[in-house]
Amino acid sequence: MRAYFSDIPRTLLAMGYWAFMLYLLVPLTLMMAMSFKDANFIAFPIGDLTLRWYSQVLHDKQFLEACLYTIAIAVATTFAATVIGVWIAMLIAQSGSRWSGILFALACLPAVVPGMISAISLRVFISTIDMPTGTGAIVLGHTVHAVPFVVVMALTRLRSMPPNLVDAARDLGADSIVAFFRVTLPYLGPAIAGGMIFCVLLSVDDFVRTFFLGGYRPTLPMLIFAKVQGGMSPEINAMATLVLIVTAAVGLYAEYMTRRSRSR
Amino acid sequence: MQPVVQFENVTKTYGQAIAVDDLNLAIEPGKFVTLLGPSGCGKSTTLRMLGGFETPSSGRILLAGRDVTHLPPNKRNVNIVFQDYALFPHMNVARNIAFGLELQGKSADAIHRRVMELLRLVRLEAFAERLPSELSGGQRQRVALMRALAPDPQVLLLDEPLSALDAKLRQQMQIELKAIQETTGKTFLFVTHDQEEALTMSDVIVVMNNGRIEQMGDPHTLYSHPNSVFVANFIGEANLLKATVVARDGDRTALRWNGLEVQASATGHPAKAGDAACIVVRPEAIRFSGSPADGVNAMPGKIRQRVFKGNHTSMLVEVSDGTHLTALVHLGDTESIAGEDVWISWKPENATVIRDEAVPA
Repeated sequence: MRAYFSDIPRTLLAMGYWAFMLYLLVPLTLMMAMSFKDANFIAFPIGDLTLRWYSQVLHDKQFLEACLYTIAIAVATTFAATVIGVWIAMLIAQSGSRWSGILFALACLPAVVPGMISAISLRVFISTIDMPTGTGAIVLGHTVHAVPFVVVMALTRLRSMPPNLVDAARDLGADSIVAFFRVTLPYLGPAIAGGMIFCVLLSVDDFVRTFFLGGYRPTLPMLIFAKVQGGMSPEINAMATLVLIVTAAVGLYAEYMTRRSRSR
Repeated sequence: MQPVVQFENVTKTYGQAIAVDDLNLAIEPGKFVTLLGPSGCGKSTTLRMLGGFETPSSGRILLAGRDVTHLPPNKRNVNIVFQDYALFPHMNVARNIAFGLELQGKSADAIHRRVMELLRLVRLEAFAERLPSELSGGQRQRVALMRALAPDPQVLLLDEPLSALDAKLRQQMQIELKAIQETTGKTFLFVTHDQEEALTMSDVIVVMNNGRIEQMGDPHTLYSHPNSVFVANFIGEANLLKATVVARDGDRTALRWNGLEVQASATGHPAKAGDAACIVVRPEAIRFSGSPADGVNAMPGKIRQRVFKGNHTSMLVEVSDGTHLTALVHLGDTESIAGEDVWISWKPENATVIRDEAVPA
C-alpha cells in the first residue's frame, strides 16, 4: 500500500519512533538494572550485582500475601465482568440500530469516566448504602471498570458472526439456551479469552479505585505505594520487575492466542 | 396419499408489504419440489415459515397432518440447508453432522455410525476431522446437506444452496443433489431463482410471483405448456404473439395473428372465438425451410441477426409486420439457412395459447 504521508520523510518518522521507544524503555531498563544492585539505595554506579533483593522479596510474607489478594480480586473481577459484559453484548447485538447505539454508549461510560471520579462516587455510594470497604467493594469497583472492555470485544466478535449459525442450531433441535452455550459462546471464545485477560490486567493494575474502596489488606499496587512512601530501595525495583515480567508474559500470551484463533 | 406438507390459506405480511398471499400448497412425500421465482416473490418466506423462523400472519401449516404453525424451529421435524451453509466453525465435520443427532439424545455409537454412513454417501469419510474452514465450497455444501439430513427430517428444506458455487460445480451438485434425493427417498423442498436448476432437479416446480403461485407442475408441462406470460418468460425463452381466437376445435385453436391464420394447441385456457389471447412459441419450435413448408403456420421472414452460441445459433427473424421472433438452430442445421430470406413455421402442438396479458418488453 502506498503511504499517505509521503511528504514526511521516512527517516524523520523513524527518528520520532525510536525517540519514543527510548523514552519508554530507558526507565524500565533502569528500574530492572537497579534491582540487581548490591547496596541499600538507588543510585549510579550500580557496582556489585546481587540477587539478594529478589530472594528477600520472594520471602517477604507481606508481598506474597498482597500477590494472592490481588490475584483473588482479579479472578473475582474477571468472572463478574465477563458474565455481565457478554450479557450486555448479547443484548446490544439483538437490539435495533437506534437502541443499540444508546445501550452501547451507556455500557462504555465506565471506561471513559476518570478513575478518580469513579472511585470517589463509588466510595460515597457504598457508604450511603452502609457497605463496608474491603474486598467486596474493590471487586465491585474493578468490575464496573472492566465491563466495557469485555462488551467491546464480545460485541465485535458477535457482529462478525454469521446470523444463520444460531438459526442452524435451532433448526437442528437446540432451544435458545442450548444454542447459546453450544454455538454462540464457543464462537465468542477468542473474544472472551482476550476480554478476560484484559480484565485481569486492569484489575491488577488498578490503584485509584482500590485505594478508595479498600480496607486494611493491601493489594500489590497499594503495597508498593506504601513501600515507596517509606523510602526507595532496590527491593521495590525487584518487586516491580517481577510484576512487569508476569504481566508482560500474560499480555503477550493473550496476543498470541488471539492471533492464532483469528488465523483459523 | 397424505401430503407431507400443507399450506392452508397462508398469508404473511410485513407491515403493508404482502410477502405471501393466501398460499395453498400440498406437497407429496418423496418428491423433489422446487419453489421457483424472482427475488421477493415470497419463496424464501414460504420456506422460512415451514422451518419455523417466521410465523404466518394467517392460515395454517401442517406437517404430516399435524398443525405446526406456531411451533418453534427446534420442535419441528424439518431441517434447512442454508444459503451460506452456516456450518459451526468451531466444530469439525463429524461434530457438525452429529449436532442434531446429539440433541435427539442418540447414543454415541449410533451417532458415530450415522455420521460415517452419511459421510460415505458424499465420499467425505477422510474429512471427518477437518474444520469447515479447511474445506472447499463444494465440500462445505455436502457437509451442510448431510448435517441437515442426519436427524432424518420429514422434509429437507434447501434455501438457494447452490448460489455460492461456481457454474461448473453448481451443475455437478445439481446432479448429486438429485441423486441423494433419490437414494434417501426424502421430500426435498428447494428454493431457487434459477430456472435451469429447477428444470434439472425437480419432480414438481411451483412458480411463484408476488407472493402467489403462478403455476405448478412437472418441468416438462411448465416448459411446454406455461399458463401465463410470466411463466413463459421466466422458464426458458419464449416468443409471445398477441392474437385473436378464431375458432376452437378439439385440441386445436385457430387464431388470427399478423394477418395470418395460425394454429396452436389448446390448453386449459378457456378461449372463445373473438377473444384476445397470447401464443407462446419456444425458439427451438421454429423450423426453417428454403421454400414454403407444407401445412400450417408457414410464413416468410428475413434473418436480421445470427448469434453463435457454441452448440446452437440464435437467430432473430423479422416477419412481415416487423415483429422479431427468436429462433434456435442447432449446429449442423445452419447450412440450409445461408441466405437472408427464409420461410419459417412451427407445429401447432409446439405452440400454446395463454390468456392475453401485457407482454413485457
